[in-house]
Amino acid sequence: MDNLTSISLFILQGAVISLKIYVVTFIFAIPLGMLCAVGKLTKFAPLKWLLEVYTWLFRGTPLLLQLFFVYFGLPFIGVRFTAEIAAYITFIINYGAYFTEIFRAGIQSIDKGQYEAAKALGMNYKLTMRRIIIPQAVKVILPPTGNEAVNLIKDTALCSAITLADILRNAKSMVSSHASVEGYFIAAILYLIMTFIIINVFKYIERRFTYYN
Amino acid sequence: MGEIIRVENLHKSFHSLHVLKGINFKVNKGEIVSVIGPSGSGKSTLLRCLNHLEVADKGSISFEGNYIAKSDTTGKAVYKSNKEVLAICSNLGMVFQNFNLFPHKSVLQNIMEAPIMVKGKSKEEAEAKAVELLDKVGLLEKKDAYPNQLSGGQKQRVAIARALAMEPEIMLFDEPTSALDPELIGEVLQVIKQLAEERMTMIIVTHEMSFAREISDRVIFMDDGQIVVDGVPDDIFVNPEHPRIKTFLNKVL
Repeated sequence: MDNLTSISLFILQGAVISLKIYVVTFIFAIPLGMLCAVGKLTKFAPLKWLLEVYTWLFRGTPLLLQLFFVYFGLPFIGVRFTAEIAAYITFIINYGAYFTEIFRAGIQSIDKGQYEAAKALGMNYKLTMRRIIIPQAVKVILPPTGNEAVNLIKDTALCSAITLADILRNAKSMVSSHASVEGYFIAAILYLIMTFIIINVFKYIERRFTYYN
Repeated sequence: MGEIIRVENLHKSFHSLHVLKGINFKVNKGEIVSVIGPSGSGKSTLLRCLNHLEVADKGSISFEGNYIAKSDTTGKAVYKSNKEVLAICSNLGMVFQNFNLFPHKSVLQNIMEAPIMVKGKSKEEAEAKAVELLDKVGLLEKKDAYPNQLSGGQKQRVAIARALAMEPEIMLFDEPTSALDPELIGEVLQVIKQLAEERMTMIIVTHEMSFAREISDRVIFMDDGQIVVDGVPDDIFVNPEHPRIKTFLNKVL
């Protein structure tokens, strides 16, 4: 029993970096995705083209490769980050690309008539987006955003590959040092608890948007 | 009486489809003008050009003498800046076939939105006006409802109140009853009739022939992108000389 407690505590320490990556990614990737989504919907072709390349590049290659590139690859051209900073940068840019596509699709799903009604009432583009389009798009993008929120907690485990002592890496080292399988069970339980919380937070938010259809 | 809208030699194409082929007309203050004609004749496109929901290719559009678009020497329509056009067009209220209410806002919020955000009115002032307008269209008890809780006829009455809240100089109706179940058409026409009695200037694109005949000072008959007849209702409904009007009326009456 003593053994199990010490294993658990050690793995739990790993949750600190997992959660840090989670929170930092969410805080920065969401605004990044919003800006890029609005950028993709402008008529300015070079910007659209640039953002198209961005989302293709980061959705089209493995996140693990991106992590390796930033942490192990960039030092060869003289750019060095700590493992933690490398993880933040990679996760934010990677998830920003997914959020860009989710938000773009959400905004585009709003009926053209809404823009016309706003314009006929004298509302300019900025006001129309802020007051009419984006509030409605939020409802549309909540379910796919919730999906990404769940994926992200699991994806944080990839940071163990660039030396960070997260849940998975600590679990693995406990399994090796104690020559027993419990470490993986404990890690799985931790992930399940976190995803359970996230799923329910999103359920709660989605319910708050059911006041209209 | 003062002129509100003047349209000169208006042309509009969608790709290779020439929808408006040189439209000329004007509307004076207090006039009620209906636009009728077969589907695809360009009625809605004409109306949508007036408040810049469609961009005309050629010709001029002016509101109270201010040009929104003015034709240059080649005839091409040259628009003022978006900001100026938006400011002028906010004097034109628009009612759509599909209502286009804001689904995430309550009835009251739908009506108060533009007066507060565009005209900078206080919340109290906007709410008082909204309540007054809802009372006028007979929907005061629905003020806290959301659009999805309303029938089509009620939605359209809210949409009319929303447009009126901006205190427009002229109201444009784009087939306001075409999306409604037959039993709901009357309540919407009743509201429009009430506006007519108050001499609100209106342009109404409609398929309701008897309504157009009853309410209008002038009726414009459009076919194939052109105005065929612009006259008093009797010119069209009683003594239609033009064969195209006869054919059309035989189909719809």
